[in-house]
Amino acid sequence: MGKRLLIFLSVLFIFLLVSIAHNIVRGDSEYAGSEACKDCHEAQYNKFIKSVHGKKAIPGNPANRDGCESCHGPGAQHVEKGGGRGVAIFVFSKKESSTARDSKCLACHQDMRGVENWNLSKHKSFLITCDNCHSIHSSVPGKNFLKAEEPDLCFGCHRNIRAQFNKQSHHPIKEVFVGRQALKCSSCHNPMGTFDIKAMIKADSVNDLCYKCHAEKRGPYAFEHPPVPENCLYCHEIHGSNHRKLLVRKVPLLCESCHTGGHPSRPYTNLHSFSGTATAQKNKFFGRGCLNCHGNIHGSSLDPAFIR
Amino acid sequence: MKAKIMIVAMMICLVPLSNALSQDNKTIEGEVGLTGVWIDVHGKEGGKAKFTEYRDLREDGAVFGRARLNLDTDKYFINLNVGDFAYDTQYYMVDGGMWGKFKFDLFYDEIPHNITFDARTPFLGAGHDTLVGTPNPNFPLWNTFDYSILRHQYGGGFKVDVIRPFFFDVSFERENRDGIKPTGAPQTFSSSSVAFELPEPVEYVTNNLKVSAGYSKKPLFLSLNYIHSDFNNSNSALFLPPNFVAPNAFSLPPDNTYDKGAFKGAVSLPFNSRFSTNMGFARGRSETSIVSLIGSGYTGKVDNINYDFMLSSNPVRFLDLKAYYKYYKRFNKSDDPTGVADIFLNYKIATYGAELGLRLPQNFYLSGGYKYVKTEREKKGEDDPEEILPFNMDNIFFVDLKWSGPDFLEAKVGYEIFDRDAHYRTAYSYGNPFKRFSYAEQNRNTVKAILDIFPLENLNLGLEYRYKNTDYSDTIFGLRRDKRHEFDINADYAIGKIAKVYGYGDYGWIRFNQWQIRSGLPWDGDQWDKTWGYGIGAEVYVIPKKLTLIFQHDYLKSNGSVDFALNDGLFVVGNGLGAASGANNDNIDISRWDDYTLYSFRIKAVYNFTKSLAAMIGYAYERFRYSDAQLDGYQFFVPAGTGNGAFLTGAYKDQSYRANLVFGGVSYKF
Repeated sequence: MGKRLLIFLSVLFIFLLVSIAHNIVRGDSEYAGSEACKDCHEAQYNKFIKSVHGKKAIPGNPANRDGCESCHGPGAQHVEKGGGRGVAIFVFSKKESSTARDSKCLACHQDMRGVENWNLSKHKSFLITCDNCHSIHSSVPGKNFLKAEEPDLCFGCHRNIRAQFNKQSHHPIKEVFVGRQALKCSSCHNPMGTFDIKAMIKADSVNDLCYKCHAEKRGPYAFEHPPVPENCLYCHEIHGSNHRKLLVRKVPLLCESCHTGGHPSRPYTNLHSFSGTATAQKNKFFGRGCLNCHGNIHGSSLDPAFIR
Repeated sequence: MKAKIMIVAMMICLVPLSNALSQDNKTIEGEVGLTGVWIDVHGKEGGKAKFTEYRDLREDGAVFGRARLNLDTDKYFINLNVGDFAYDTQYYMVDGGMWGKFKFDLFYDEIPHNITFDARTPFLGAGHDTLVGTPNPNFPLWNTFDYSILRHQYGGGFKVDVIRPFFFDVSFERENRDGIKPTGAPQTFSSSSVAFELPEPVEYVTNNLKVSAGYSKKPLFLSLNYIHSDFNNSNSALFLPPNFVAPNAFSLPPDNTYDKGAFKGAVSLPFNSRFSTNMGFARGRSETSIVSLIGSGYTGKVDNINYDFMLSSNPVRFLDLKAYYKYYKRFNKSDDPTGVADIFLNYKIATYGAELGLRLPQNFYLSGGYKYVKTEREKKGEDDPEEILPFNMDNIFFVDLKWSGPDFLEAKVGYEIFDRDAHYRTAYSYGNPFKRFSYAEQNRNTVKAILDIFPLENLNLGLEYRYKNTDYSDTIFGLRRDKRHEFDINADYAIGKIAKVYGYGDYGWIRFNQWQIRSGLPWDGDQWDKTWGYGIGAEVYVIPKKLTLIFQHDYLKSNGSVDFALNDGLFVVGNGLGAASGANNDNIDISRWDDYTLYSFRIKAVYNFTKSLAAMIGYAYERFRYSDAQLDGYQFFVPAGTGNGAFLTGAYKDQSYRANLVFGGVSYKF
């Protein structure tokens, strides 16, 4: 036992020695200093120095460490060789591995709130890197150095979601023409990862997320409609639908997917209306179909059939 | 009281502003802008509401102002962003703080949701909790009101950075929702009752408080979180006129509170690994006075418990591993001493899984995994064997392959199998041919293929295809199949410094197949949703940095239909369907099922007089054509002839519109 401990401590000592030696050897000679960078990259430098990364008041910030070289690594050789993209310098390009690029950012940001679950993120699993969405030097105005504004940034990859938001019934995420954007993708999702590995929603369940804005649906109700407290997505699409209220299918077919007996068992066709032949081909399902009587479909305080 | 707290908080938070102004090394940037819009809308009440669904563009003309101010020094910063003053989309936001010390934000914003203008009701009192009057069929004389809801949100937050690696965040927001939304109730409890569409008053206030504190420094992250939310509805019920049978009241969402405490933690481990955990306990309560109408002493109480454990590891460069266990439980502890409402839903979901990612030669990345989900449901107090809910066991396998070999290309393909087994716990429910899709056995196959090409530095092209097929293999009656295809494409191309053009195209179709049985005779319906659309746009830099022309055109068409196939016996007169004479399987299909066309066109010219001063002028055209079998030939009053009668309000009626918008504005940056 004592021998093993000795070996372990020896390995640890060697490791620490190498680390310290590496830092000593690193020295200033390999670093060119941010002023040298500015000579050729003035625009990038100016943007950096004005940004949050340039604030010396923030402990651990690049401005308090090696400036540009905090992210790009030592640049003396790059200067000596006359510059050039990627010549003896780290650049955020596809030539560098996703791990190498992420590690530059995570060296500081792993401690940042909201990034602590990056290791769980679906984006990380698909080798999406920080620089796919963020750019320190060419970001849009605003916070977080995003390359484009939401939702356009997200739609760049999530084309099917863009198509869904174009449908007539959708959450107000693209209403930016006159007025402001009401919701953002990041209102519901954390692209940096959450405990919901696949969809990265900002809640422990789908319903918990929906109730954040739709608190009136939260209940509990005296009379529950069983699928409702379990998952809103049995009946509703998330991003967009051709049917109002983001319904996955149009009423009455949606209700008839589960319910049988009595009037749910009737086919409401082009010639079979709720009101018989009297209103055939006209107004046949009373506009909102089943919901005209079962108005409390999410739950009721009075009636198990949700009609009071 | 809370408003006073907000004002005090705002005053405290503005301290950095005065300090910032006294700093030498400061940057002040800002922008003020004014946009005038002339609007010409053609449409009926529903169309005008649809046009302005989430916007405030009702008047013929409108002038929108906005302002932004960013003040930044080495120590302090403050940003103000305000706009749409006095409109239903107005917003006021301020955030600021001391770099590395603290941050704060305050906001107020509004957003409307317009559904239908000038809806009608035979009753008096729309928008209030009591409807009075005797319904009469003379609908032109009915009272009018708007189906519209306005959300006002305001709040703020405060984050302390100075105590790093410890942190403390607090935020509060209040949301007021006011307006009217459509609901409905039958006059009696008979299935042949007259149906009444009703204006439901919306007067909600929701308060949300979040507090979070913890420690974050590699290798450790620890966080304690508390959430309190309370929802208050000014109206417990919509009281109905005497022509409705007792209880002539329609219950409205009850007041509720929600409290949640959670712990989140993560620790870095050897071999580039990280262990993360999330544990939470939440309690929701509801109160309603309306249940006294049925003599119940109901008190609502629901507990939610969740805990998650996750381990991720990247021990060697080419290998990513992830393993997890998740548990979520809902336990309805509501109490109803009278037993009227004593059936409450409980469920628990246990999930475990593992994922593996392998970096392969030639820039291939192969990932895959397995997930098992067990869902156990119980309706407490339920003894009807027909209503005993089944358990589900889901086995999910997935694999993805990504290739990013050449610089100009990235390709992804993925496949997932979802296999759900349903364990019905009574002989009746097992043998029942009606199996609800939410719980029934299902086999789902999902395929996706994505290609991103960058053949030139200034050209990006993306293609995507997704296929999903869900078979509810054990269901005879109910939803049996959900099949969907999606094709999406987008591209953008920069023509030097002259212009940038971009476009997209989408096509998708969804088919739902369901079977039903009527009078012992089966029928089935296939609902089809077909949607296709495209958009093209361009930015032309006519005079670089001076004059830019922006053009955008979008088109979307939805074509829905339902194909019915009825057993011949269902066409026999007297079977209870109320079939029109001459009905047969060739003429009963529905061809208009939420059909619509969205067309928009926008052109805008932006001229920069100086680096600071810019002007903009433009024109937009929007058109929405809607056609649907349920709403065409709309009648406010449906007489009770051979079937049910109805008094309707016009919700969602006549949503088509076309609109011309001419807009112009100036902005000044400093």
